[in-house]
Amino acid sequence: MKGFISRISTLLLLATSALLVGCQTTAPKRDLAAYEAANPRSIVVVPIVNKSLDVDAPNYVLSALPVPIAEKGYYVFPVNTTKMVLEQEGFYEPERVHEQPPETIAKMFGADAVLFVTINQWDAQYIILSTTVTVDFEYRLVSKTGEELWKNTQRMQYSPNNSNGGLIGMLVSAAIARAAPNYMPLTIQANSMALRTGQNALLDGPYLKEKLSQQK
Amino acid sequence: MKFFDKHVQGLRSAARYAAAGAALALMTGCATNQNLYEWGGYDAALYSTYKSPETVVELQTKLETHIAAMTQANQKVAPGLYAELGSLYLQAGKTDEAIAQYNKERELWPESRTLMDSMIKTLESRAKATPATSEKKTNGEVTS
Repeated sequence: MKGFISRISTLLLLATSALLVGCQTTAPKRDLAAYEAANPRSIVVVPIVNKSLDVDAPNYVLSALPVPIAEKGYYVFPVNTTKMVLEQEGFYEPERVHEQPPETIAKMFGADAVLFVTINQWDAQYIILSTTVTVDFEYRLVSKTGEELWKNTQRMQYSPNNSNGGLIGMLVSAAIARAAPNYMPLTIQANSMALRTGQNALLDGPYLKEKLSQQK
Repeated sequence: MKFFDKHVQGLRSAARYAAAGAALALMTGCATNQNLYEWGGYDAALYSTYKSPETVVELQTKLETHIAAMTQANQKVAPGLYAELGSLYLQAGKTDEAIAQYNKERELWPESRTLMDSMIKTLESRAKATPATSEKKTNGEVTS
């Protein structure tokens, strides 16, 4: 019975938090005049700068970027092809790409805007009974004329909490999470919130606007 | 019997979570969760390719199957997918197939034209410079 009540209260908690998140009617004021004026149709995502210790993180994060950007209504340049093209031009280091004038990159691809992403954190902290997985990303959209249009940061944490399994269960699940922390669900969620669904997401792109106007 | 009970319990709690998830989705459901495109598992396959490069064939097969299905259903192929497939062909040395995919990307997505045109032009001039015999050029410069 006790278990049932605690489950009910968890549900209630979930429900309240969902209500609190609510619709996007009261987004904080943000200055998007330059973004609106630039009205970009296409975005090129350049290779990601990595400030974490995991050398694989940038490619993993990159794989989770095209879908939310395209679903927000933009033409997103194929990320793997972009990487290949840049490497052919001699850009192997993401840092070097990020140092280039955005105008040069935009011109190279014929893109309206360039998205720069930096990984600030990507790790798993082991605290005996639980493991906390953290991702922290920074996003910056710059127009083909070099003007900053939009920026955002997204931090997400996850602690697999197997409280049903008792002490041993918690130790085991913490150990598993530690050995092979699964960053991808968190990464996909972070990119999706930052770019598509969050309060400071990208503005609706042309293809989404078109679809929404057809639904009216 | 004990094993069976445990199983049923697992199912029950799974169902409960599913219900909670559904309720949550309904409550937060202000934003439309309708998608513009179908991706055919492109993002997951791309992730796998980065994780284990030897699985690149699976990415290629996935893209081929998905694009064929979209074409059959007369549905628009998502941005970039033709070009990604083209680049996989290119990396496998199949220049003609690559050019064909880049052309499809170009036709479907006008935003891609500058990039597609320059890649196609480079590939075509490279093909001219080194015909079928594919002699090795010591000088990497390609003149168009």
